[in-house]
Parts: sequence; C-alpha cells; structure tokens
Amino acid sequence: MTKWRLLDTGLLGATENIAYNQALLDAVREGQAGNTLRFLRFRPSALIGYHQSPRQELNLAYCEEHGIEVQRRITGGGAIYFDETQLGWELYTTKQAMGGADMGRLAERICNAAAEGIRKLGVEAYFRPRNDIEVGGRKISGTGGIMDGDAILYQGTLLLDFDVERMFRVLRIPAEKISDKNLKAARDRVVTLRELLGELPPLEEVKVAIAESFAEHFGMDLAPAPLNDWERARHREVVEEFSSPDWIHLNERPREEAPVLQGFHKGKGGLIRVSLWVDSARDHLKQIWITGDFFVTPKRAVLDLEAALKDTPLDQVPERIRAFFADSGAQWMMLGPDDFIQAIDSAVAAREAAV
Amino acid sequence: MGVVRGCEIPEDLLYDVDNNIWARVEDDGTVTVGLTSYACALAGQIVSYTPKKVGKKVKKGKSCATVESGKWVGPAKSPVGGEVAAINDAVAANPGLINQDPYGEGWLVKIKPDDLDADKADLVTGQAALEAFEKKMEADGFGGC
Repeated sequence: MTKWRLLDTGLLGATENIAYNQALLDAVREGQAGNTLRFLRFRPSALIGYHQSPRQELNLAYCEEHGIEVQRRITGGGAIYFDETQLGWELYTTKQAMGGADMGRLAERICNAAAEGIRKLGVEAYFRPRNDIEVGGRKISGTGGIMDGDAILYQGTLLLDFDVERMFRVLRIPAEKISDKNLKAARDRVVTLRELLGELPPLEEVKVAIAESFAEHFGMDLAPAPLNDWERARHREVVEEFSSPDWIHLNERPREEAPVLQGFHKGKGGLIRVSLWVDSARDHLKQIWITGDFFVTPKRAVLDLEAALKDTPLDQVPERIRAFFADSGAQWMMLGPDDFIQAIDSAVAAREAAV
Repeated sequence: MGVVRGCEIPEDLLYDVDNNIWARVEDDGTVTVGLTSYACALAGQIVSYTPKKVGKKVKKGKSCATVESGKWVGPAKSPVGGEVAAINDAVAANPGLINQDPYGEGWLVKIKPDDLDADKADLVTGQAALEAFEKKMEADGFGGC
C-alpha cells in the first residue's frame, strides 16, 4: 500500500482548475507533495488540449455570449465542453510509483481502473483504445495526461448528465452545420450515467466508486488531506500566468486549416458516407464520422472504428483501418477495409480538387 | 552506432539521460537538441510539436519544446541554457518525423548556448551514455525498442 492524498477541490472555474493541474504536478516534480487523487468540477468551460488552437476548435463567439470560460489544458487530447454535470478525476504521481514509463501502457492501466470504478455504478463501461472509456461504443469519459520528468498527471472526465446540444454549439465536430440529423449523430456518440441508469446517481456515490477502484488497482492507502502551502503559493502564480491571452492563444492557427471534408463510396455492401475533420497543415485526421446504409454486427463496430482513427496522420489511415478489420471480430456484410479507405480517399480528393 | 536494448544511442552525441534528450554541438556554436529513440519508444506515435519561439531564453532543464503522443503531453527539457536559435518547420508539418528520424530530421530546436562548457559537464557521451541508458531502462522496467 502507498499513501495517497484524497483531494476534492469542488466546483471551480476553468482557470482555477487548470492552474491546480500545473501547481500540483509541479509539487510532485519538486518533491513538495506526494501522490494525489483529486476530484474536481467545472463551471461551464471550453477546454482545448495543450497543442490545440482555440479558434480552430471552438466557437468562440458562442462561448463569449454564453459566459463559457475558455482555457487551455496542460494535458493532451481534444477540446471538451465541461460543466457542472460532469465529474473530473486526476492522478498525480510518479513513473516509479506507477511502475513503468511506457506511456501507452500506463494510460491503459489508469483507464481500466477508472472504467472498473464506473462499472461499480452498474453500467458496462470499458476502456477503448486509445484513450476513451465507452459504454456500448458510446463515449462516457475522455482522458489525457502529461509526463514532466518523473512526475505524472493523468486526468479524465465522467459524464453524469450532459447537454449535447450545448456541446455541439461550443465545440467544432465533424459536421459542417447544426442540423437535427447532425445533432442526433452527436448524441449517438456520447452517453451519460443519467441516460444509462434512468436517474442521476448521487455525486458522492460516484466519487466513492471511482476512488475505491483506483485504490484497488494501484494499492492506494487513501486519506483526505488539504492543499499544502507550497501548492497554494504556486497556484496563485499559475493563475496569473494562465489568465493571460498569451497562454490561452499559444498555438493559434487559422480555422480554414482545419476543414470538414465529406466523401462517400458505394460498394457491394451499401453506401458509406464519411465526414472527416482534418488538420490540413499536418495532413492529420482529427475526427471522423461514418454513416450509411451498410450492415455490421455489432453496430458499435462503426463507433469503435471512428475511435481507432482519431488523431491519425492521413497516410497511416489505411493501415489503421486494415488492422481494425483484422482485430475487431465484427461481421461486415459485403464490406471490407478497402470500401472505407475509398470513402476516405474520396473526401481527401475533394479537398485537393478545391485547392 | 551504440545500441541499448534495441534502441539506437549514437555514441558521438551528448545526453541528458534523466530527461531522455540528446545534444550535438554544431560548427557554428549552436546546440541541436532532440528526443532519444528511447524517449520515442516510450511515447509512441508523436502527433503534435510546439517549440519555444525563436529568440526566447530557455534555462537548462526547462522546456524548450513540447510534444504530444496518444494524448500525453511531454515537455522536452533543454540540456543547455541559452536562446532558441531555430525551430524545425519540417517537424511542425509532420511531427511523426521525430519517431522516424530522432537523431536526424526529427530534431526539436537549436539553442545558442550561454555557457556551454559549464552545461556540458552534466551531459554524458560514448560508453558512459550507453551504461547510463541501460540503468535508466532497468529502472523504468523497459523491455526494448
């Protein structure tokens, strides 16, 4: 058993919360604090990943109009909308304490522990490569981390209840406009505890389930304790730094560099439509939606394929699709990997024709 | 070419082993900095790269560039103090170059050092570097590249 602090910072704004990420990570790196499991909640916030551009990822005018705080995370991954209806969990620790430095393996172990915590609440949540936790193929939790020297912060969200339409208006997604059809597509790809359980479980119950699972997986001897003076002082400094537009707009890039491309392919098994959101400057697939009138069992295989293709260099997409088909075990009626590759190629060709 | 547990560790480079960083002193006096093949193996496919801006001062041991792989962000620690003299546009356009050619086209930044002789004293090279990486891989529980 290892001693871990259980810290709950309650409901805060985005800048305060993200500044705690930096302050607590620094405390571990500088030997000013030990291992910590933190729970946190956000007032309405739009959070981009460290390397992302706010203008490219968010509808900034909508955020401003609705008092949604925009902030940059220090961790990786994509933009998220975070509000009171979600719970955040975070581990602050070291590579040594977690017994390994392989980042993919570490993320998987942490996500498996979080998923098991969610299962204690009575829903079938599982880790899905590379960094999601899903129920029936629909995302219930996203995760990301930072490794600074030997110090680690790994964090995740959990959707208790959620306003999908609001998320849709805050974040850009692989669709060109807001329509009923696209709203349904967005809804099909996420799920909440309220929807699965028929009612909202008490927040304390959710925290206990997750904390117990982490404690079991990582041998944590958890005891509640407050922030220390070093962390509070560091937090004040970081709040100032992260309040600056220079921090939030560190990686600002033109919105046109991240277009949404549509393509389709008609094969023997039916019509495949794809909507790709790409980073043109780096030839990188950010996100994809796949729809159509083809048949696959189980249906969730389509959502799993979308997840497998997230954040992939375009030139590696065909090999990822082939690997997915080889491993997934799904039954695709008269469809093979080449049908999906051709649909994606048609979308990319449309971009090249436009240039 | 030196190899430790299947990871290439060129013996002519300087290393900050703790931070998994290599450095090479160029003829013009600048220091080219990059991730080791071991760092790349731990990280997996790198998808983002944000260097400090040219002209920015960087302290030794502080971040000179940040990379991202599989939703993990990792600051790359500068092995020398100085000023960022160049960043790598080819890597900005294709961050996967870091994985493909970590000691060549996948370099991260070039630094104009303030006090190279003092900072160099903390870096290791040659056989000493290979041994230090073997020890680090043992401590990290690393199977091999």
